[in-house]
Formats: sequence, structure tokens, C-alpha cells
Amino acid sequence: MVRTALSERKGKQMSLTSINISSLVIDSLCDRVASGEKDLALAWLYCDFLAHQEQSATAILGAILRQLVSVGDMPENIRERFRKRFSDRGLRLPDIMGMLKTTIPLLPPVYICIDAVDEATPKSRQELLESLREIVRESPSARVLFTGRSHVEEEVKKYLTNVITVPVSPTGGDIRVYLGARLERDTEPYTMDDGLWKDIMRIIPEIISEV
Amino acid sequence: MSINGNINSFNYSNVTNVNIGTPDEDNQIREWLSPLKPQQRHQGVRADRLDGVGDWFLETNEFLEWSSGGDDFLERVLFCSGGPGVGKTYLW
Repeated sequence: MVRTALSERKGKQMSLTSINISSLVIDSLCDRVASGEKDLALAWLYCDFLAHQEQSATAILGAILRQLVSVGDMPENIRERFRKRFSDRGLRLPDIMGMLKTTIPLLPPVYICIDAVDEATPKSRQELLESLREIVRESPSARVLFTGRSHVEEEVKKYLTNVITVPVSPTGGDIRVYLGARLERDTEPYTMDDGLWKDIMRIIPEIISEV
Repeated sequence: MSINGNINSFNYSNVTNVNIGTPDEDNQIREWLSPLKPQQRHQGVRADRLDGVGDWFLETNEFLEWSSGGDDFLERVLFCSGGPGVGKTYLW
């Protein structure tokens, strides 16, 4: 029964987040700054299938730059470019890249997190990977963390040759925490008993570890 | 740490600026750079996160080296790869 319920569930769109490496990394880096352990500049973007129209490489890298200049003084070259915005075409990728490359050296070490890079369109992803390769090559203080489905791993490696891959899958502990939280919010608690609870906590982690 | 609003950049002591911009103009510049608002998405994701889930990742050597390495550290790009049945964003 549990197995059937799980496979039915896998066929639907899941809405409850339980493991998100990017958000953990972002919060962890923020904590290091807050505790005074490290000074750094942080920017991120969550790619999303549902936001293809808005998430061009130009918009994504623009959002990275926007975060990097979100506090502190605005670098002069960005202000100058802004003031000339009506006399030329709109912002293009080379414009954003130019501003990023001149801004990053002004900042503490720059950390960029791109979540779900597989959810970007192929065109955006290619431009994004090419652009981040340039940034990493030219800015020794910049580092990038991607998350993504394994099918884009080769594509990422093609552009970023020194990339380190870390396989991510929930541990048994992760799954039990998640199940415990879901069962706490069970809308039909009267159908639960100790035996069923124990079965769920035992069988589902086993099934997931087989996937 | 409580995260609200401007959490992206910190203590920039060495940013050079020789300009006379206004806070209003700075906000306009940020809007002009990109319409995307990744902070909002982050707030949503972290609100749904369960305490303790995935914390093991922060203890991996790969992450520790990536996050604390110096400028001469060559492996400055990490790719966290999730299988097709096990989302890197969602557990399932």
C-alpha cells in the first residue's frame, strides 16, 4: 500500500520542499558573514521552468549583479551606464558582463549559487555557462555552485572544466525527518496507529533508497 | 540568522565610489539591472525547508573546500547533481 501510494505521488507535481541544497548554502554563507567568520558577497538565482520568458541569461546575470550591488556604494561605471540608458539600446548580455567583470574585483570574495540550472532553457543555459566560465577565469575571487539534474552534468563540464561534481540524494535521516513532518500534519490522524506509522517510517526510506 | 531584504552583500569596505548618486537613483539602477527578484524565491524555499534535512551537505569536504578556499584554489565551481527520481530541490 505504501509502495503504491508513493508511486502515485511521484506521478504528480510535488509541492513540499524538503531538501534544497542552494537554500542551505545561501543561509550557511549568510551565517558565516553574520558571525564575522568571513566577509563575502553573495548572489543567487533559482531557475524555474515556469519562468522561461523572464529568465534569459541577461536577466539572470543582471539579477546576480543587482544582488552584488544591493548594499554599499554603487560602482561608478554602473551609474554612468545607467545615466546613458536612453541614448542606446536596452541592456544586452555583453553590457551586463562588462559591469559584472568590473564590479567583482571591487568586492570581497564573490559566491554565486545557481539553483536548478537544468530548468533554464537550453539557450539561456548555454549563455549562462559561457558567461560564468568567463567570470571564473577572469575573477580569481569568484566561485560558483550549481544544482541540477544529472543529465546536464556533461554540459556543465563542457564549459567549466575544473568543476567538482557532488551527487546529492536524501539520506535515510533526511527522509525520516520529512516523513515525520508530513505525518504530524496528517489530515486524517484517526486512521494512523503505531504499526502503520512504523511501517511508513521503515518502508518508504527503503523504497526511496532503491530509486 | 534572520534574513530580511538586503542580505546579499556585506561590509564592503573597499568599494570605491566617487559619485553623487541618490538612494532613489540607486534603487532605479537595481531595477534596471534585472527585473528578477531571487530574494523572494529564496524566502519561499527556506520557509518550506525542514530543519536538519540536507545539513550533511554542508559538512562534505567538497563544500567546505569550495566555501573556504582562497583565490588560488582551482576548483572554484561545484555542481550538485541530483538523479531523475530524487530532486535536488524537492525530495520527490
